[in-house]
Amino acid sequence: MLTLDHITKRYGSLTALDDVSLNIAPGEFFGLLGPNGAGKSTLMSLIASLRAPDAGGITLDGIALSTADAAGRLTLGLVPQHIALYLELNPEQNLGIFGQLYGLRGADLRARIDEALDAVQLNDRRRDQVKTFSGGMQRRLNLAAALLHRPKLLLCDEPTVGVDPQSRNAIFEYLERLNREGLTIIYSTHYMEEATRLCSRIGIIDHGKILALGTLDELLTQLPFEEEIRFSANAATATLAPALAVQGELTTHDGIHRFRPRAGAKLSEFYSLTESRGLPARLFTSQRPTLEALFLHLTGRTIRE
Amino acid sequence: MRIILTLLGKDFANLRRNRSALVLSFMVPMVIIYVVGLVFGLGRSDSGPSGIPLAVVNQSDNPAAQKLVAALQAEKSFHVITEFVNPDRTIRPLTETDLRPLIRDRRFSYALVIPPDVLSETQLGLHLKILSDPRNDIESQTVNGLLQKTIFTHVPDLLGQSLQARAKKFLGNPKLSEFNGSIATAVAKAFGGDPAKIKADIEQGNFGLEELAASPAKPGAASSTGGDILSKLVKIDTEQVVGKDVKSPTATRIVGGYAVMFLLFALSNSSAAFFSEKNSGVFQRVLSAPVSRAQLLWSRFFYGILFGLIQLLALFFAGHLLYGVDVFGHFGNLLVVCACVAAACTSFGMLLSALTRSPEAAASLATLLVITMSACGGAWFPVSFMPEFMQHIARFTIVYWAIDGFGGVLWAGNSFGQMLPTLGILLSITAVAMTIAVWRFNRSRIFD
Repeated sequence: MLTLDHITKRYGSLTALDDVSLNIAPGEFFGLLGPNGAGKSTLMSLIASLRAPDAGGITLDGIALSTADAAGRLTLGLVPQHIALYLELNPEQNLGIFGQLYGLRGADLRARIDEALDAVQLNDRRRDQVKTFSGGMQRRLNLAAALLHRPKLLLCDEPTVGVDPQSRNAIFEYLERLNREGLTIIYSTHYMEEATRLCSRIGIIDHGKILALGTLDELLTQLPFEEEIRFSANAATATLAPALAVQGELTTHDGIHRFRPRAGAKLSEFYSLTESRGLPARLFTSQRPTLEALFLHLTGRTIRE
Repeated sequence: MRIILTLLGKDFANLRRNRSALVLSFMVPMVIIYVVGLVFGLGRSDSGPSGIPLAVVNQSDNPAAQKLVAALQAEKSFHVITEFVNPDRTIRPLTETDLRPLIRDRRFSYALVIPPDVLSETQLGLHLKILSDPRNDIESQTVNGLLQKTIFTHVPDLLGQSLQARAKKFLGNPKLSEFNGSIATAVAKAFGGDPAKIKADIEQGNFGLEELAASPAKPGAASSTGGDILSKLVKIDTEQVVGKDVKSPTATRIVGGYAVMFLLFALSNSSAAFFSEKNSGVFQRVLSAPVSRAQLLWSRFFYGILFGLIQLLALFFAGHLLYGVDVFGHFGNLLVVCACVAAACTSFGMLLSALTRSPEAAASLATLLVITMSACGGAWFPVSFMPEFMQHIARFTIVYWAIDGFGGVLWAGNSFGQMLPTLGILLSITAVAMTIAVWRFNRSRIFD
């Protein structure tokens, strides 16, 4: 559906995107995961034709997108990072304006406004000024405004920043429903849990490069370990650390040791070692590796750094 | 105390970072003090107006009349025009018949005619004629005062000659000579001096009136200064060439000047909204729709024009209701001028948005420029009250041309054709400002 072919974008001496290639299939819920400044928003703005790449091309259903081609944007919907609404106006007026920009008029426009307000549960507040809404309500309306013209591809640029858990969940459920109904979604975030919950495929981006790409399972197999064992760093476990370093990778953060056995290593060997040192099994927790571990593995830093 | 000092330091640190507040607190009042000070003559060796164009047609062969022309030419308040340039570039002296069309064309607003009968045997005092376009009543009063001052100060012998001519009509030459001789003898006896020389002075009209004219008024005196006495000796026929039917000239000037000033403020603030739309991501959303940057800019431009048109017309209607400004007599032309003024003001606002990087910077720069333009452009007081260099600067302001346009319609009742030069300048300002603004918008990251 969407193809990015060797895209490069520079701002002066800063390379925001460096030779990025990507294919998004119809109906996909694609997650773009990376820290702030990784290049996510630049990539979104290029797909939305807000900016032109310095090199490479973008096609949607085989048709090249460009900043000069306004018609190509009819099939796109953008949910910007900020509350991109006229706060002095009410939801009806906001949706009316954005709908008209996409050529909607009259009864069709009114019907779609009703439908959109129902979907984001704001019908009862349709004539209140948006500035009187909570952050979550504004976010929901922000999403509705991007869907009014029924795009084929929805671009969500960190759409849940600053949203309370309840509203965030409502947004997730709405997006999941839209995706089940066939809408292709590209969702940028720096929250691992959002990408894990929502996305069928994830691209990890940092410093303008796609570092890893695939389903969650595919990504996690790129780690040289299959699980992670955590235990407190204290006097009792102090003697364990040098011995474990031979069997895998041991890192310590905030008083917690994280041990990642080398691929192919047997957990029974680990527990034999701990047992021989008189350390009970309850001191250790084992868990499946996360995207965060993958990001750390790929970049050498945590996503929030 | 330490806490108070910490909080105090915080306030000053914030102030130092807030350029907008600094400009509004310091720069704007300094500019106003400077401009108003110049108007009132502060810091100038030559206070008062300067360079007001004054046409002078001298039809008299009296040498004292030529002396009056020379005195007017020496007066720095006036730029005296005595010649007319023909279409073939040849030059000839101005005539009275040239004056009215030239005043209507705004080549100058005041003309002094010294008629052949500047001195008359049938009338005591001088006879002069002033033609004017007093669209600015403050300037007009000042010009009249300056003319009287120049006449009284520099040509009192004209007044003396007038007295002699009048006496000659009643007494005849022999008796006048006898009369002058008696006066001279009495003066010499009372105050000393040569009676023959005193008689010769009297016959030439030299009564020492310049000293009388120059004598200051006594504090608290209600009247009877030398100037008051002399003013009765000068008969000035005045003819208002333009704006005879205007009911409220002051209101016509004030409403136009202040309307354009507040329009500039309103449109500058409105253009600062560019930044809030950018920061909120609305630009991103709008531009991700099938909307081009050009459409976005043009919509903002047309909004500015329509808003400006509504605001200007509302203020002129208020002027009509409150002070009887004649809005309906020239409504079509007024509409055209208002549209051109609104276009120029909108382009100014958009240029500010394009040149600045934040709404705060745009707002503070707007305040500084709007106040400066209003003061220099004639919204507050006549341009001629400022030093000549400021008068040149005034011509680069929207306010100056807006007031010129409003005056042309409401005061002079100009036709559309007569307004074209002013409209052309306003539209040129619009075109230049918009070209720079669009160029800057395309280069800047306001749409990113």
